[in-house]
Order: sequence, then structure tokens, then C-alpha cells
Amino acid sequence: MPTKSQFLWMYEMMEKARYYEDTMAAAYMEGKTPKFDIGAGPVPGEMHLAAGQEPCAAGVCVHLRKDDAVTATHRPHHVAIAKGVDLKKMTAEIYGKESGLAGGRGGHMHLLDPEVNFSCSGIIAQGTSPAVGAALAARMNGKDAVAVSYLGEGAANQGGFHEAMNLAALWKLPVIFVIEDNGWGISVPKSKSTSVADNSVRAAGYGIPGFHVADNDTLALFEVAGEAVARARRGEGPTLIEVETYRFYGHFQGDPELYRPKNEVAELKARDPIRRLRETMIAGGSVTEAEADEVLARAKAEVDEAFAFARAAAYPAPEEALRHVFA
Amino acid sequence: MATEITLAPDLWDATVNPEGIVANWFFQEGASVGKGATVAEIMVEKTTIDIVAPAAGRLHISVAKDGVVKPGAVIGTIEEG
Amino acid sequence: MSSNRIMTVSRAISEAIAQEMRADPRVFVMGEDIAKYGGIFGSTAGLLAEFGEERVRDTPISETGFIGAGVGAAMSGMRPIVELMFVDFFGVCMDSIYNLAAKNIYFSGGHYKVPMVIMTATGGGYSDAGQHSQTLHATFAHLPGLKVVAPSNAYDAKGLMISAIRDDSPVVFMFHKGLQGLAWMASPEAAATELPEEAYTVPFGEAKVVRPGKDVTIVTLSMMVHRALEAAKALEKEGIDAEVIDLRTLVPLDRKTVIQSVAKTGRLVVVDEDYKSFGLTAEILASVVEEDPAYLKAAPRRLAVPDVPIPYSRPMEQFVLPDAETIAAAVRGTLGKAREAA
Repeated sequence: MPTKSQFLWMYEMMEKARYYEDTMAAAYMEGKTPKFDIGAGPVPGEMHLAAGQEPCAAGVCVHLRKDDAVTATHRPHHVAIAKGVDLKKMTAEIYGKESGLAGGRGGHMHLLDPEVNFSCSGIIAQGTSPAVGAALAARMNGKDAVAVSYLGEGAANQGGFHEAMNLAALWKLPVIFVIEDNGWGISVPKSKSTSVADNSVRAAGYGIPGFHVADNDTLALFEVAGEAVARARRGEGPTLIEVETYRFYGHFQGDPELYRPKNEVAELKARDPIRRLRETMIAGGSVTEAEADEVLARAKAEVDEAFAFARAAAYPAPEEALRHVFA
Repeated sequence: MATEITLAPDLWDATVNPEGIVANWFFQEGASVGKGATVAEIMVEKTTIDIVAPAAGRLHISVAKDGVVKPGAVIGTIEEG
Repeated sequence: MSSNRIMTVSRAISEAIAQEMRADPRVFVMGEDIAKYGGIFGSTAGLLAEFGEERVRDTPISETGFIGAGVGAAMSGMRPIVELMFVDFFGVCMDSIYNLAAKNIYFSGGHYKVPMVIMTATGGGYSDAGQHSQTLHATFAHLPGLKVVAPSNAYDAKGLMISAIRDDSPVVFMFHKGLQGLAWMASPEAAATELPEEAYTVPFGEAKVVRPGKDVTIVTLSMMVHRALEAAKALEKEGIDAEVIDLRTLVPLDRKTVIQSVAKTGRLVVVDEDYKSFGLTAEILASVVEEDPAYLKAAPRRLAVPDVPIPYSRPMEQFVLPDAETIAAAVRGTLGKAREAA
């Protein structure tokens, strides 16, 4: 069971991530109605939001330290928030501003922050091998830091993921592979992309432990991830965890989602993992309503502040494009 | 006789998105079109819907490309004969 | 009745594929989100409904697997079309493309055919950042064994796609996202064209003079054809008559049309949305100079992405992409500095 402070931390991260995505969804549509032009508005380009997937971020990152490495996916905001990426700089990056993490060079799929050992990539499954490398570096430097690699269930069919699992297992490296199974690879359901129903069974092929977390359950993931991180720190090698999670929005904002059963999102929202966590921690008696409300208010204020910062920030000079190709 | 090209009142859920736009016309003003030919494309948010000619004849466009429309709107007519 | 249709590039491509699938049972399509979704950029819209799941196959996110499978199917008598959703994703599957598709005809001494089409989306300009905005024309054109096409409009797209499907060698069909005529992405009006109903081919290796002129030759392809035409229109007002050549295919490359034009105008500007160094712009310059350096009355100019990844932020991305203004300035440059300053 999480301690009171762990409960509150996870709750705060999840509320912050949810409010962040909902705020971003509205910001993204600015300048895109009634005519949706993907290149228009203050936040152009593709936008992949993670509302519903918050347990995957909070239930794992609650066990991590600043020096642990995390690699995330093209849908990275919730994990970036839980890993402690500077919210103002991250939001400014997504607005393409000079004060963003990369001065506007990377955008929403390319948030990299060495301060907290966080990176992500828009190429499917391609964060898995860098996580292996981060774990290798930690061990070569005699540290007990671990690496967590996030990927989607669709990415579990990429060759790179399997090579990374074998490497991590072969070298007994402190890596935790976390598959966020939201059921959909854009429009393709898991049943049409994956030869097994549960990806955690694939761990057996590499001789490592594999766990399945059902129904987006934050507390079940908390337990499994805690074990996996502890084992990794003790030098006992990698773990594969698949979390059955929810995608409330489309693959990207503006996705017509014609492929998706009509009631699916409503049914998922009825089992909102944030509300479930809040109810559990309050029912358990460790946290009061007032304490939870205070955390929620603080999370929202921080997000509002980050968006205000990003909006007010200046755009980079065009010639800035030419800098930072090399170190 | 002229037949109106009317967007069905339930073409999309107007409570969610009150307005769409005419994203493309696939024929020019005055072109002769066959019944059932795809003449235009409506976009609502990022969803596109093909609009077909309700009759054969000469096309008259009344809502140009990028024009804003609501369900039930008449976007053009087809002059038969 | 319907040859007066003005169709978008995405619809031209899906129509070409459908017509070839009707005519030839060996043709089938594989890729991510190409069936029910109809392709993220619409190139396979409507195919699932007509041809079913056996011939219009959604794949897992396993590019090495399904592109390699395309090679094997092609060598076994099928004519697969595989879609690589964004050309930028070539990184995870290049071995299937350049070591298998591109080489197996050669490795068999011509005894095997590899009649496959690798269809892929290119191009930026809408803030999708460095892993979703490249064109990578030269990356593919550089490798022996791949034919590479990059249409600028719907008429050419349909004809080139039909040529690609009927070709016995692997063809990389690069369509620019910003030319597709998708409702949700801005597209130049001239990319949509009148589109004949019947199947027809546009031959490979035949560039098209899309605007005749006598003062300067602008050589380009894909999206930049439209930017070049826009520049030519502006230059016309200054009394400069630019000839614009749409290469249409990189491999085979129609050097002859380029050289003939430069022999006439004596001035050359090459425009590409790909990276500048080691690319198409240098190849065109070299082709002219190798033929006869005396054709050039002034130093030629190249416009391309200045060897940086495509930046996300709008002002920086617009800065690195060639546009009508920078093309016009380059043309003025070939005509003497005084006019460049004008």
C-alpha cells in the first residue's frame, strides 16, 4: 500500500496530467475552427494526448529518483509531468517558443530534459534501446539508478523492442519496460496487430519476469512497479509490465475515430482512474477530502501558470534554426 | 428543373460541432455532372464526408470552398436537362 | 461526362490503385492504418470496402516485417503496394528497402523481378518537427536499384502510380502531404487537376516543362513546383521570364530536358525541399556542368534545407524551407546582383 505522501503524490501527478491534457486540447483547437488546418493556431502539428493513461505515469514514476532515466513515447506529457520535467519550459516548447526546453526545435513529440533524465521520441518503440543504454551507463558508473522505457502496445510488435529486451535480459540490466496498452495503434485494435492477447507473456521469451496490470489500476501498478524497480536496483535485471490503460482522446487531436465503437470512450470515462484513486485513498482514511482538494487546486494552478508562461513567451528568431546541430 | 444539393440535417452532430466547412469541390462551376458523382467534400473538425450529386445536370456552386456550413445547408444546385 | 472532375492528389492515388487492383488480382496493399482508416493521408481511402481485408491489409507497427514481406511476395509473383506512413520512419526498416528490395534483381542476375511499390508521405511546413517532416528524396535516389517518383499534382500522381504498379522493379512513390488536398492540411490549388476516369500511365524519366521561359531555368519537383511557379509569376512582373521544370521522377532522372533548358537560358536555379548537401540540387548542377560548363552564363544557385533537422517552431521551420520569395531572390541572383537587391 502507498504511504500517505505517495498517495497524494500520485494523485497530484494524475490530476496535473489530466488538467494539462484537457487544457492542451482546448489550446490546440484555437485557430482550427471551423476549418481544421493542422498547421494553424498557436499549437500546430500533430498532438497526441494521454488523458486516461495517467496511472502508467504516476504508478511507476512514484518509485523513481531524479537520476533514474525515463524514455517515453510520442504521447509523452503525462510521463514527462510525473518525471518532473519543468512544466513551463515543456509548455513553451510545445508552443514553439524560445524559452522552451529546446528553444522550439523539438515540439510536443521531442521533449528532452537532462535535468531529470527524461527523453521521448516520435518513432514507435525507439525509446527502448536508449533505456538499455542508460541502464548500462548507470551500472558502468557503479550507480544503482534504473531506466524505465515506455511504449505502446502497438510498439510491442517492433523489432527494436525485442532486441532491447534481449539485451537488457542478457546483460541483466536495471530496465523496466512499461507497455501502455490503450487498445489502439491509431485505428488498429490490439486483436488485429498482436499475436498474443497479453504482451507480458512475451517476457518468458527473454527469461525475465512479466506482469499484467488489468483495468488501469493505479494501485496494482504501484505494487508491481515498486517490486520491479527494487529488483532492478538490487542488480536482479529487467522486468516487463503491461498496463491495460484508457485512451480518452483520439490517436491525435482531430482524429475522426470512425474506427472506434461509439460507446467505448464513455464506458472508459465511467471508470476514470483518477476518481477511483481519489475515492480509494479517502475511503482508506489516510487522506481527507480537503487535502485532496488542496492538491487538485495546486496542480491546476501550476498548469495554468505554465500555459500563461508559454503564451507570453517570445518566438525564436528564424535563424535560430541553424544552431545546435552539433554539440 | 433545378435540384438542390442539400446537406442532410443529421450529416453530423451539430450539438458537438455546430459548423463545418466545404473542404473541396471536385467540379468547377457550370460543369456537367452525373447523378451520384462525388461533387464535394465537407469537413467537420477533421472528419470528411463526401457529397454526391442528387441528379445529373449542370452544377451551380452556392457555397464556395472554405465556406462555413451547418447541417441542412444548401451548398449548390444541379440544373437538369 | 466526368473528365471535367477536379480531383485531389490523394483521390488520384487511391483511384489509380483501385483501377489496377480491379485489373490485376496480383496487386494488393499493406501498411499501417491503410484499411479502415483509408491511410492517414487518404491514399488508400475506399479500397477496403471494395476489395476486402485479404487484399487491403492493416499491419502491425512492424515496418521491417511487412516491407520485407512485400519483397518476398513480389519475388513470388505478387505486385504489392506497401505504405510507409511517413518517409521519416524509414529508419526502422531500411534494410528491407535498400538491401533487399533494391538489390535482389541484381543479385539474381535479373532472374528475379521485384514488382513492388513503397508508397510514402513526405514533406513539412505544418510544424510536425524533425521526425515527421522530411522529404529524404536523395536518401532513396542515391541507392542503386530503386526507382523514385515524387509527383506535384493529381494528374501525374495517378499516371505515375499506375506506371509504378506495372513496373517490374521496386518503386518508391513519394507523395507530399501538403499536396494531397486533404481537407485538414493546406494545399496549393493547382495540385488538384482534371483527372481522366480511365487508367493511364505517366512514363518515368520524363520531366515536364510546366512553364516555358527564356531567361532562367528553375528545376524542382513535388511541392516546390508550386513555390517555383509562384516565384515565376512574381518575376514576370519584373520582366524576368523563368522556365520551370518539374522533374516528376528522380530515378530515372531526365537530365536531357534540364540540359536543353539551361543551354537555352544559360541560368540555373535548383530547388529541393530535401537537405542541401549531397543531394538533388548538387546532382542537377553536376549533370549540367558535366555536359558543358559553357552553358552557364552565371553561377548557378541551389535552394534546399540548410543541413539542419526540420525545426518544430513555425518561424524556424519557415526559415529553412525554400519559398517563392527565396526562389525569386535566387533567380535575381543569377541575373546579376543589382537585380537581386531589387
